[in-house]
Amino acid sequence: MKTLLVAEFREGKLRVKYSQLIAFAKGLPTEASMFLVGSPNDLPQFDGTLYLADVGKYGEYNPSVHKQLLLDVIAKEQPDLIVFHHSSYGWDLAPRIAVALKAAQISEVVAIEDGVPVVPVCNAKLRRKITSKTAQTILTLQAGAFGMDEDPVGAPTVVPVDTEARGKVECHGYEAAKIEGVDLTKSEVIVSAGRGVGNPENIAIVQALAKALGGEYGGSRPVVDAGWVDHDRQVGTTGRTVTPKLYVACGISGAIQHLAGMKKSEFIVAINTDKDAPIGEVADVFVVADLKQFLPVLTEKLKAL
Amino acid sequence: MKILICIKQVPDMESKFKINADGKWYDRTDLAWRMNEYDEYAVEQAVRLKEQVGEVDLTVLCIGPDQVKETMKKALAMGCDRGVHIADNDSHTREPIEIAAMVADFAKDKNFDIIFTGMQSQDRGSAQVGVMVAELLGLPAITTIVAFTFENGTVQVKRELEGGGKALVSAAIPVVLTCQLGLNTPRYPTLPNIMKAKKKELLTLAVPDLSGIGACQETAACYFPERKGSGIVLEGELPEMADKLIHLLKEKTGVLA
Amino acid sequence: MEFTREIYWNVGHGFTTLAPMYGLLLVALVVLARGCLKRLKVYRLGKPLDRTDQRGERVKNLLDNVFLQTQVYRVPGPGTAHSLFFWSFFILAIGTALIVAQADFTDLFFGVKFLKGTFYKLFSITLDLAGLLAIAMLGGLLVRRYLLRPEGLITKPDDALMHGLLLAILITGFVIEGARMAVTEMGTPLAPWSPVGLMTAHLLGGLGEGALRTLHAGLWWFHLLLALAFIAVIPFTKFRHILTTSANSFLSDLGPTGKLTTINLEDETIEKFGASGLTDLRWKDIFDADACTVCKRCQDRCPAFATGKPLSPMRVVNQIGEIAFTQPEANLIDTVDRDAIWACTTCFACQDICPASIEHVGKIIEMRRNLVLMEGEFPGEEVMTAMEQTEVNGNPLGMGYASRGDWAESLGIKTLAEDSEVDVLYFVGCYASFDKRNIAVAKSFVKLCQAAGIKVGILGKEEKCCGEPMRKMGNEYLYQTLAMETVETIKGYGVKKIVTTCPHCFNTLAKDYRDFDFDIPVEHHAVFLEQLINTGKLRIKTDAFSCTYHDSCYLGRHNNLYEAPRNLIQSAGGKLTEMAQNRDQAFCCSAGGGRIMAEENIGDRINVKRVRMAVSTGAEQLVSNCPFCLTMFEDGVKGADVEAQLRPKDLAEILAERLVD
Repeated sequence: MKTLLVAEFREGKLRVKYSQLIAFAKGLPTEASMFLVGSPNDLPQFDGTLYLADVGKYGEYNPSVHKQLLLDVIAKEQPDLIVFHHSSYGWDLAPRIAVALKAAQISEVVAIEDGVPVVPVCNAKLRRKITSKTAQTILTLQAGAFGMDEDPVGAPTVVPVDTEARGKVECHGYEAAKIEGVDLTKSEVIVSAGRGVGNPENIAIVQALAKALGGEYGGSRPVVDAGWVDHDRQVGTTGRTVTPKLYVACGISGAIQHLAGMKKSEFIVAINTDKDAPIGEVADVFVVADLKQFLPVLTEKLKAL
Repeated sequence: MKILICIKQVPDMESKFKINADGKWYDRTDLAWRMNEYDEYAVEQAVRLKEQVGEVDLTVLCIGPDQVKETMKKALAMGCDRGVHIADNDSHTREPIEIAAMVADFAKDKNFDIIFTGMQSQDRGSAQVGVMVAELLGLPAITTIVAFTFENGTVQVKRELEGGGKALVSAAIPVVLTCQLGLNTPRYPTLPNIMKAKKKELLTLAVPDLSGIGACQETAACYFPERKGSGIVLEGELPEMADKLIHLLKEKTGVLA
Repeated sequence: MEFTREIYWNVGHGFTTLAPMYGLLLVALVVLARGCLKRLKVYRLGKPLDRTDQRGERVKNLLDNVFLQTQVYRVPGPGTAHSLFFWSFFILAIGTALIVAQADFTDLFFGVKFLKGTFYKLFSITLDLAGLLAIAMLGGLLVRRYLLRPEGLITKPDDALMHGLLLAILITGFVIEGARMAVTEMGTPLAPWSPVGLMTAHLLGGLGEGALRTLHAGLWWFHLLLALAFIAVIPFTKFRHILTTSANSFLSDLGPTGKLTTINLEDETIEKFGASGLTDLRWKDIFDADACTVCKRCQDRCPAFATGKPLSPMRVVNQIGEIAFTQPEANLIDTVDRDAIWACTTCFACQDICPASIEHVGKIIEMRRNLVLMEGEFPGEEVMTAMEQTEVNGNPLGMGYASRGDWAESLGIKTLAEDSEVDVLYFVGCYASFDKRNIAVAKSFVKLCQAAGIKVGILGKEEKCCGEPMRKMGNEYLYQTLAMETVETIKGYGVKKIVTTCPHCFNTLAKDYRDFDFDIPVEHHAVFLEQLINTGKLRIKTDAFSCTYHDSCYLGRHNNLYEAPRNLIQSAGGKLTEMAQNRDQAFCCSAGGGRIMAEENIGDRINVKRVRMAVSTGAEQLVSNCPFCLTMFEDGVKGADVEAQLRPKDLAEILAERLVD
């Protein structure tokens, strides 16, 4: 079986999450090659064929051109699986390939069970196993679902690719996210606030617990969107992916985008009034309680230690 | 200008889900229904565009059984001019490409300047339909927009990227745009508009011929995920739970050393 | 001697006096009439409204309020002063009228005199004492306004004019009397019957007769001019309240208490909903501004005003008046200010205390209706979300509707769908169905019913929000949708009696739903349980506890239910220490008016303020019987950091703890 992995390049750099694609391929009996619209000066550590298109020529976001470059490679390589990240690049590009190849696309794969991809549905409350009926299948992988313990090693065999195709969409550059000094990816202990905190005043309770545990506080997407927590403290696929030793999720239901951002934490504690909240799937300890009542009690006891 | 907004009726995510009889999807009973959240941003943006430009006709399209008309009425009450309902009692079994083909079949001869839709649905969440519609119609598509302006036949959007940054992208119309959380705050329909919506045109069409489309994938099963093995559940009085938790943290992590 | 006096003594009888007197009176009356007509024109800018039905009751209200000064008396201090002043001045007016009646009619045309003898003696002393009392009371009110300066009392030049003019009339009256008596009555047995006049006469003693006569005549005409000026300026000053405030007693809202106007949503010709401009209001809303005497009793009791929100019920009423008379095109909502409009909890303290029968709450709701129904605007995104969640799941909490009846699992009660043969439908309400703290109250209530042998049924997942918070927030459309569905569902089961544990549900089903032909008897659990105990069906033991009781607005002021809960507390063994602000003076918990859905972002927290009032009674438990109050107090005891000292409890919980096994 042949697999073609689609890596990403953004703001002048190779996106290092390509290692997740490699980790995924390693889990299958497959021979993997890679496709990238990128730069020869920033290559992935990958022992295999890398079909490289010049990002200087074709742009970082240029969907129809990237599509054509990729289709040309697919025509040449004839992979059985084409694997993207389920990302702003991946979910933008993959369906175009699916239509062109009349192939099945299975989005946001979190696992392969008995050879069948598993995806989350309904805000991660349910799972779905989907089998492809087409010769070629396109997969997009959930961020963080697959990963390697060590950094990837290797040097790719670069095969340049070009195309005459022109795009109708113009990319004019980027606007940076507002970073304000907290880098949660470096924290060992994170206590996160979810919608369950109820109002901005209760963030203080979460902060207090974080302090008592010697860590940082973060938030899920809804509380960041509401302005209760700064964006640089957002945990989840559009925020930060964190891997602390201890992650305490307060009033967080466990929407998949959030789970993806923290489920590689070593030890996860969930505090929620809803016993069925999906966060329970990843939690090592699930405290069934109202965070507004439990957190102050816990914080007091920690301070007394 | 002519604009198409594609929306989907989905269950409210607070509902308690059950698996249906054939084990392939959720059971439709005891669910509350609403417009897919991402499609609300699409409707709102289209209505704002109409307020900006003036001479704009907004068509809202929805595929599904008869009950989806309730959700379409909300789109009409928010400001869409007309509705097109593709009556399909099996919509929940369709693959993304089939849904896209139904939309493309409707839109192919209508010359829409912009097609707005949500970037994904809250239930299936495949994030494919919008882009597939564009491909089938031969139109450019830009996904995940969180900002939108229109001037002189060009749309200028910002795409949301991982990490919170945004990409500034533009394209000339016609174009397909898929909308992401943060694009706008959908309006609450005013009463005069709710009243007007009752009189707006709502056409029902049959499912078009889908031969040659689909049959690409099949749901093997739909189920509740299993909990991680080591999941210890603590319930009861707050002080006891706090003590137990502290004990576990000491035992299993190095955090309280 | 004859006990009488010569009317027109020293001033001159006949044409030379009567002609200018009546001539000037005519002028004064014309000015009065034109002033009133001008104002009438402005009232007419508002929409029509019939307030002439039930004449008997209206006349009774008028007589009560004007002659018994009932509402004025509710605030004893200034209320007593005003009442006494009013009665005195009224007596003086009657006295003057009697003099005119004799001098210019009965005596002039028929030679009949009645101001003589014993009658005249009584007449004289009554008027003298009345005049003295009037001056004393007026003096007191003057001191209050200008020296004591109570906080929040607005004083304008108008007030100085009023005090000055009235004092001048009263004082000149006595000087005139004194001058006359100094010449004609000194040393006579009649003199003591005008004690104040006599004292004034002594003070004028030094003057000779010539000077006294000049003084008398001069002041007589001056006094006449002042009195006529008083009549003439009525429409142009706060004196108009003599006419407008009295009229408002006749024109008042005859209830039911707190009932809002229902918009006819079937009428397709209505293009505008709510009020954003003067002409959207009813004429009564504009008239209310003229009836207002700026007494600030409403403002003093407003929980929003007391905690720093920009809402003053008095100012809203006055702003409408200002716009009406100076800038009728102005935007009402911009003038009153959105933060003020959203801050109201519809607690009704303002309207309840108002001595001028002004309707404050309706005006605010009409502005909210405009904001919600015409603009889709809410006090915050969280309220829009709550509205949307109510549309989707039938409750503002966003909980899945299918699990609404889950709280009752294993309690041994069924939904009406399973078994509709019940004694009573327990209409649970959104909070008691989904909120953990309030579910405990629902369970307690069911336990009590079962102990009393009452077969209770619930609607379970068929129950939806009664629509009350949505209605009070201005979303009349969503409210009516919910109401009609609820009415249909309940009627469909042939329900005979409904009990609720929520005053808002109770009030809405009992009053608001009448618009939809809903007349099934509804009771609040306090009344229901009291009945059960009184008839012996429910037995509870007396287990002493210390508590204070909070009268929730929708049970208290809106429905006059103050005693049943207190009786229940007593039966349960409660040692009740009342808060200073109790019963009709109770201070709102903050969650009414739909504000249970909103965040409180301005000023201090109303619920914390009320909790502190409860703490100061020294009681251990704060008893209420409303899910909003309970929720607010649980939050409030944390906010005030008094969790250890004060436990919020619902009446049902207290009783359930005391069931006799």
